[in-house]
Amino acid sequence: MPAVSGYHFDPVFVVHHLGDLGSGLLRTLAISAIGMAGALLAGALLGAISALRIPVARQLVTVYVEVFRNTPLLVQIFFLYFALPEAGLQLGGFTVGWLSLLLWGGAYNAENFRAGFEAVEGGYVEACRALGFARLSAFRHVTLPLGGRIALPSVANTLISVFKNSSFMVAISYPELTETAVNIVAVTFRVFEMFLAIGVIYLGLVWLMSLGAGAVERRFAIPGGH
Amino acid sequence: MPPWVGPVADYLAGGLRETVLLALVCIAASLLAGVLIGAALTVPSRPLRGAARAYVEVWRGLPIIITLYFIFFVLPIIGIRVDTFTAAAVGLSLWGSANTAEVVRGALRSVPRGQDEAAAALGFSWTGRMRYVLLPQATRRALPPLIGLVVNLTQQTSLAAVIGLLDILEASQRSIERLTLSGGSSHAVPILGAVLAVFFTICLPLTMLSRWYERRLR
Repeated sequence: MPAVSGYHFDPVFVVHHLGDLGSGLLRTLAISAIGMAGALLAGALLGAISALRIPVARQLVTVYVEVFRNTPLLVQIFFLYFALPEAGLQLGGFTVGWLSLLLWGGAYNAENFRAGFEAVEGGYVEACRALGFARLSAFRHVTLPLGGRIALPSVANTLISVFKNSSFMVAISYPELTETAVNIVAVTFRVFEMFLAIGVIYLGLVWLMSLGAGAVERRFAIPGGH
Repeated sequence: MPPWVGPVADYLAGGLRETVLLALVCIAASLLAGVLIGAALTVPSRPLRGAARAYVEVWRGLPIIITLYFIFFVLPIIGIRVDTFTAAAVGLSLWGSANTAEVVRGALRSVPRGQDEAAAALGFSWTGRMRYVLLPQATRRALPPLIGLVVNLTQQTSLAAVIGLLDILEASQRSIERLTLSGGSSHAVPILGAVLAVFFTICLPLTMLSRWYERRLR
């Protein structure tokens, strides 16, 4: 891009494109929402499988978690979008969007939940088992509520990262917020205003989500405990 | 071996060199700046702490892609020309240093208060307490998450491909395009599979090291 001399800051310009940005934001929110919900559920389920040491399933979970945590999300997105069609599976931008976020976030959350579940004091579960609870109901009534709370901050962090990383879809030209902004910039050259505007939008939403996570943590905090 | 493999492998190796170089620069810059900013997050001075807090919130909160675009496209407007490598290195280091600062702050706060107070009572200045009492103890706590951050930073270098740096990911994309244009199959599965494998081979040992160290601390 050539250097623009005599650049005039023109904030009104952003207002003219609010419609486009709005539909971009909706797509960002859509893929993020599905990705975050999926990552939460998958993470809790897979974390439980690891913590309960269920044979075979547990090893499979480990492989999944290690592969997705130790490779870049962007390369995973490229693989889903560019390589899978060659293997006969063509996925659209929307599907790759939420699916890649779900798979990536699910791997991180599986690890977050596993660590949370394993941090629950063994005595609680033993006491529960001594009272005649089956292993699974001991997990449901003791490990899940306690370990889930321990895992909450790191899970919330991962979910916020999922939202931020929805911007990676610019690499496959899926018209979410970032791609929309890049496209507007490509025809108007209003680089500064546009990136400032979406920067503020992302920061604002991240901030809101952090506030929400904090509120959830306080709401579910164990009185007197930590 | 099919004839396309050799040239593509060479091309990817060139990209990998760029990726590794970028990762090393970003890791060094992030750790250096991150420790300073993390220490600034714990100082008594309100303005300094506030400035450090703002730095951390902004660069951690923004999606890295937005930061990269901002540096790559906006800096030239005010007359600063940056190439893709510099833009990527600066953008990723802003993100990396902000995250390092949070880790360092957490580790410093995990050192019992009495340690700091005892050192102060012995007449240590703030820098002396940091240098001889707090940082040495905090380093042990900070090491596992910092190794995790190094892994994360290494992976995030792939974002440089979005602003056009010829790293391993961009090299794979160009290879796939060229193979498609020359008529045959794109070979996207083995090529992108190789890129995944390269990152996995670099990152898994580090992840395991971080986990081992964390377990040893307990």
